[in-house]
Amino acid sequence: MKILNKKLFIATMFTSLLLLGMGCKKQLDINYSPNNPDYDLGNPRIVLPTAILATISKVGGDLSILGGIWSEYFTESTVASQYRNYAQYNVKSPDLNAVYTRMFADGLKNYQYVISKSAEEGDWNYYLMATVMKAYTTEVLVDLYDEIPYSEALQGQANLYPKFDDGHTIYVSLLDSIDVALSKDFNASTNTDPGNADLIFGGDMSQWIAFANTLKLKMYLRMINKYPEDAEKGIKDLYNSGATFLTTNAAVTNFTDQDSKRNPMYEQNIQQLNTPDNLRASTTFVSWLKANGDPRIVSFFGKEDITSVNQGDDNSNSEGASTAAVFVEKFDDPVVFISAAESYFMQAEANLRYNVGTPAKETYDEGVMAAFNDLGLDATSFIASGGRYEFPSGGSMDDKMEAIITQKWASCAYGCHGIEAFFEKNRTDFPKTSPVYSTNPNYIPGQIVVSASTVLPPGQLPKRLQFPYVVIQSNPNAPALVPITTPVWWSK
Amino acid sequence: MLMVIAAQSFAQQRTISGKVTGNDGNPIPFATIQVQGTNTGTTSDENGNFSLSVPGNATLVVRSIGYEPQEIAIGSQSSYNIQLASSTKSLNELVVTALGRTENKSKVGYSTTTFDASQISANAPISVLDNLAGQVAGADISTLGGPGSSTKVVLRGYGVISGGSNQPLYVIDGVPLADNRPGAIDGNVDFGNGISNINPNDIASVTVLKGTAATALYGSSARNGAIMITTKRGSEGKLKIEYSGSANFSRVGRLPKLQNQFGNGWGDEFILSENGSWGPRLDGVMRPWGSIVDNSQLVKPYSAIDNNIRNFYTTGVEVTNNLAISGGSEHNRFYFSYGNVSSNGVIPTKTDYLQRNNFSLRTNSNYGKFSINTSFNYINRKMNAPNTGQASSSGGGVFESLLQIPVDIPIEDFQLYQNKFFNVDNYFTPYAENPYYGLYENGDQQSSDRFFGNLDLKYQFTNEFSAQIRMGGDFENSRTLSWNQPNAPQPGSWNGPNPTNPEGQSRKVDPGSVEKLSQYYGTINTDFILQYTKALNDFNLDVMAGANYYQNTYDRTDASITNLVIPGFFNLSNSEQPPVATENKSRRRRIGLYGQAVLGYKDQLYLTGNVRNDWSSTLPIDNNSIFYPGASLSWVVSNTFGMTNNTVSYLKLRAAYGITGADPDPYQTYSVLTPADISLGFGSLTSPFNGVSAFGVSNTINNNKLKPIMTREFEAGAEISFLGDRIGIDATYYHKISDGQIFPVSVDPSSGYTSLVENLGKVRNQGVELSLHVVPVKTNNFEWSFTYNFAKNQNKVINLNGGLPNPLLLSVYDAELRAVVGKTVAEIYAPTPQLSPSGQIVVSAETGFPLVNQTPDTSDNNMTKRRYGSALYDYTMGISNTFRYKNFTLDAALDFRYGGVMYSGTADLLNFVGNAYNTTYNDRRPFIIPNSVIESGVDGNGKPVYVENTIPIPVDDYYDYYYMTKNPAMAYDARIFDRSFLKLRSVNLSYTLPEQWSSKIGSNNLSIGIYAKNILLWTPASNYMVDPEATNEGNDIEGELGEFRTSPLEEQFGFSLRATF
Repeated sequence: MKILNKKLFIATMFTSLLLLGMGCKKQLDINYSPNNPDYDLGNPRIVLPTAILATISKVGGDLSILGGIWSEYFTESTVASQYRNYAQYNVKSPDLNAVYTRMFADGLKNYQYVISKSAEEGDWNYYLMATVMKAYTTEVLVDLYDEIPYSEALQGQANLYPKFDDGHTIYVSLLDSIDVALSKDFNASTNTDPGNADLIFGGDMSQWIAFANTLKLKMYLRMINKYPEDAEKGIKDLYNSGATFLTTNAAVTNFTDQDSKRNPMYEQNIQQLNTPDNLRASTTFVSWLKANGDPRIVSFFGKEDITSVNQGDDNSNSEGASTAAVFVEKFDDPVVFISAAESYFMQAEANLRYNVGTPAKETYDEGVMAAFNDLGLDATSFIASGGRYEFPSGGSMDDKMEAIITQKWASCAYGCHGIEAFFEKNRTDFPKTSPVYSTNPNYIPGQIVVSASTVLPPGQLPKRLQFPYVVIQSNPNAPALVPITTPVWWSK
Repeated sequence: MLMVIAAQSFAQQRTISGKVTGNDGNPIPFATIQVQGTNTGTTSDENGNFSLSVPGNATLVVRSIGYEPQEIAIGSQSSYNIQLASSTKSLNELVVTALGRTENKSKVGYSTTTFDASQISANAPISVLDNLAGQVAGADISTLGGPGSSTKVVLRGYGVISGGSNQPLYVIDGVPLADNRPGAIDGNVDFGNGISNINPNDIASVTVLKGTAATALYGSSARNGAIMITTKRGSEGKLKIEYSGSANFSRVGRLPKLQNQFGNGWGDEFILSENGSWGPRLDGVMRPWGSIVDNSQLVKPYSAIDNNIRNFYTTGVEVTNNLAISGGSEHNRFYFSYGNVSSNGVIPTKTDYLQRNNFSLRTNSNYGKFSINTSFNYINRKMNAPNTGQASSSGGGVFESLLQIPVDIPIEDFQLYQNKFFNVDNYFTPYAENPYYGLYENGDQQSSDRFFGNLDLKYQFTNEFSAQIRMGGDFENSRTLSWNQPNAPQPGSWNGPNPTNPEGQSRKVDPGSVEKLSQYYGTINTDFILQYTKALNDFNLDVMAGANYYQNTYDRTDASITNLVIPGFFNLSNSEQPPVATENKSRRRRIGLYGQAVLGYKDQLYLTGNVRNDWSSTLPIDNNSIFYPGASLSWVVSNTFGMTNNTVSYLKLRAAYGITGADPDPYQTYSVLTPADISLGFGSLTSPFNGVSAFGVSNTINNNKLKPIMTREFEAGAEISFLGDRIGIDATYYHKISDGQIFPVSVDPSSGYTSLVENLGKVRNQGVELSLHVVPVKTNNFEWSFTYNFAKNQNKVINLNGGLPNPLLLSVYDAELRAVVGKTVAEIYAPTPQLSPSGQIVVSAETGFPLVNQTPDTSDNNMTKRRYGSALYDYTMGISNTFRYKNFTLDAALDFRYGGVMYSGTADLLNFVGNAYNTTYNDRRPFIIPNSVIESGVDGNGKPVYVENTIPIPVDDYYDYYYMTKNPAMAYDARIFDRSFLKLRSVNLSYTLPEQWSSKIGSNNLSIGIYAKNILLWTPASNYMVDPEATNEGNDIEGELGEFRTSPLEEQFGFSLRATF
């Protein structure tokens, strides 16, 4: 140790410290999680499915239950209480926060990630898929909440208080974004085949183009009450461009009977909930099916000879209420975004209004056939001359609209699609609202009734959702709460 | 007490030996013997013996904690018997401060509390801190469960709400020790934490440093204070063999008080298959009970069974053995020890079981100016922990099963759990499991191997200057296995499908499960330290500078299966479904530079200044530096004014200010992707899906502007001795602000994210600590001394700028633990009845049950739930008395903690099933909620009109009154109560055999002791349920909510033997 004199020792020490200092930065630059891939490692193929799962988790989950109750296919059981607040229209700001949260954070943010990444890579297949799904998901939120952040949304820390945009402006932006996506080159060599990462069409881009067009048609139709000229121009342009429309369901169908891989409504309402029989047949829907001898009653409720609960009649003592049929669900039920039937019914409406495309009767008939076909049934006799669902060719515009929208209403009971029927009711006022409750002898089967246990002022129905608590609480730009009875911008 | 001192060579050295004893004649182990004016010295061994090489005309200075130091001039003898007088004053006490430095206590400007080996291991504890509970003012120390379970230590209150722990830093021989809690999977099992498995017999002393000023040199890790542990070392001289052993018997402690008037049934009806005591009044008449099997049924009297739950428990047996061999020569000393704990707790079977082997080898060597000290420790541990808490779908908590057995059904009988009346098919109720079934068929077991140790190399260039490298490591590998046997009641049996029980209720199939968890923890810590000492006339300067490298690694792999195919085969292959596997790794690294200077003036005034700068990997890379200074001042007033002979014989004033900066947890600075896991209302959708792996952008915005949590603390205090040191007082005031709490703050999901990790807000802890040491009687043969300590901490959340004003930390049913701005970090909330303007309870016009308050309280963040109060104690105190008569020593320690409320899941279940003592209100006859009204309509102004409630709670709904889902408004009153307690921690009696007796077996020191631990517990009348210390919610803030059906704590009795050869 003698050779280690003091000076040498100190010199060595300072040299080591210096080296330590230089090595420091590298030594300390280790805060990259080994548990999660880095943000930049993502690609459209792995992120798009996440976003689609987010959309179906709510459209095919909570909203399917809420929409099904508000469209009066089913209602809360008289011996259970899980969804009693839905049946009472007692849905407030703190409820259903997850709908908004999951669709924005898990859905829209990831669609936007795919849009940006695929634009960088020139992968227009993914660009179109993400654009259409982002538009679809955004549209559902606009239709529920009337206005939401759009132009300033999804910016993370860069804008934690995004301002709210009005629904119509958002619609216009979405339609533009779809047009941009449709204008891309789908034969470019930079495109990749999505294959099974496309949970909806397995990579068939012609179907996506049809989906995009059908979605545009749907959005223009939504505008007819407040912006009839825009709607007319948009729809006519669409037809003039030779647009193709959906002839199959745009839906997610690849569910398997394993935890976390089942249909979302089935998973949450049947598999995971301790009481699987909350949702019981509503007299509104059942009376209509029975009045028409519609075989779909077996598909939806298990058998023909069933009892039902009058809508929202919590404490019903009426006969059969406690043993009313449970709404049939299966682990592999699809979650439909736009069904083929819906596509046909929209084309029928477009023809009716603007005389474009195929005559309304033909597309109406195809719509009813497609709706029955979803359930493995044949509607031929129903649409035939004299059949229960024959198109009222000689009737008034209103009669024809009622026929189309009522059939659309019935078709939306399939595929976890109830929320769409709720929107269409608010847009068209079909099915009509009954002046009397369904226990009244004068009740007309199939007419929407006001829930017996409503908490709203007499005669009123819900028209929207209130801004969620998570938003009110954290965003100073959130507008004041609006009652759920206030119609959204496109309502009739 | 060990001093790391390099012996220096001088001419004319000679070796002397001796023995250090106290004035009671007992040897003083680990006394320091130092040649005055040099760094030469040694420590005495376990028996007070020492030997030392000294120059010819040296003076020895002999010091030990708790004794007056003594100077001995070396004459021509070679053997010295040195007797030290016990001291109450702190003048020359030695304390271990940051980085393992030994300081004269008078130099230290902050509060310290030190315990020596005899205090730590007086009654054969299996954990180092067991005997310190209640003995340190300002330290909340508790053991949370049975043998081997976690120890909780909170010094001067909770400062960290989120983003880190509130546990102190444990330091062994200057090296930080990891304090991991492996296997704490879901809070239902507790396999202990890092400190709880160190062998207490290996410890020479423990010093508690509560304040930031004291610990700032340790940086980030020590933001919550530090516990400095010094291990035993070998000493020069002949080979010594020490043995200590104990046998310990335990019985179950506090159990809930049950009602004994009503028996099996529900809704006032006798129902064989009900898991509650809501049946008819007990009448002692012989009745059939339980299931009907093969047309036969058991019969017993319909009367309450005394000690029904207590009889379930057995006597626990714990045996400890410790053997230490030590010795050494002038240049090399060693200490080897082996310790063994075999403990089987009070639950029948080996469900609460600990088998622990501790090995240690420590060496101290010096050659000239160079010295090297080492410490190698290996712990092998196998433990079974009881599954507490709520039964999951794949198995249940034992205590939960016990609590829901009606008071008239004999629990002990169920021991024959395969008997046809008590088996899975026919257990009396389909709503719960036979408590013995889980004991025999399910389990949670952990095996762990842990190595920790250090290498300490030092070179003493001159008497004034030295350099030191200290490398430490702590590595643990633990393997945890949880298994649950599958079972399904047979169709057509009492509990099976198509059940024969009178309620037609079948029991859910238990699919069984296996979970295998592997965890690795590795910590390495290296310090390079330069020290310089200089005496200049009246001044004395100690300077130290150092660099530190710290790395912490965690690697966890977990795999589980459900739906076991072959019963009894607990292997991951045994399922039709694929195993679910997860992994989690993390690494944190810190580099630090630090310095400290102590300037002393005439042994009366000491000024210490320190600085440290840390660079942490968990902070944003471009802004990862944390700088923090500290300073303290100590003034020995009595030296300045020469007060030694006054009434006040010693007076020291001290003040300190310190800052520490704590880095965030890893991986919160960069954005990542997470596998798709989209929650539904119930259940989820997850990746992979449709054969594709799905990832999305994480919903948490990781923050590249994250800053450290800064803790700033000021403390001031005084140490005073009176009347010839017969009375000593140590008083401290402190004020601590923890600023920049790291929280995930909820953000508007329209931003695309749900939360942002952010620094926000301040928590303040301020309080006083007082300790008093009195020796009322002191004669040659008899001495009585007592110490009393008192602490009061006020905790307050000052602000949480930008975050929620009352973040939720934990909830159980509707009871919540929240940190609330303006209140404490641990406030308990629960539903409360709606009140009329005149303060009466508003009940439902239909049912007569109270309505739940929905009116937001604008003065309390619009909460509709009631604030029951803070979960934190108002104040704590402890008293310990020691009586010594000749060779007998008797001591007893009391621990009193007052104030605060807690939630009890035990109370919840007992109220639900009607076993609780309070469920006989009004003799279970119909009653109208006292002082209640009904809203009858509205007046002209739209204001509600209330009329007197006349609706009684009917007899068959009586139970609903106690059920939190049926009567949430009032049920929590029986579940949330005062957490105060007074506990007799220990009573120890020991006897040291006279040497003429012990020498007959070749021993030079033989002592025997008997003791009792935790034997008396007093709680306020509102708590007749649980020992408030027991919790299964962990050892941090969340644990303050209370307990959820956790195992009761134990009372222990035992005897111990110590012998030295």
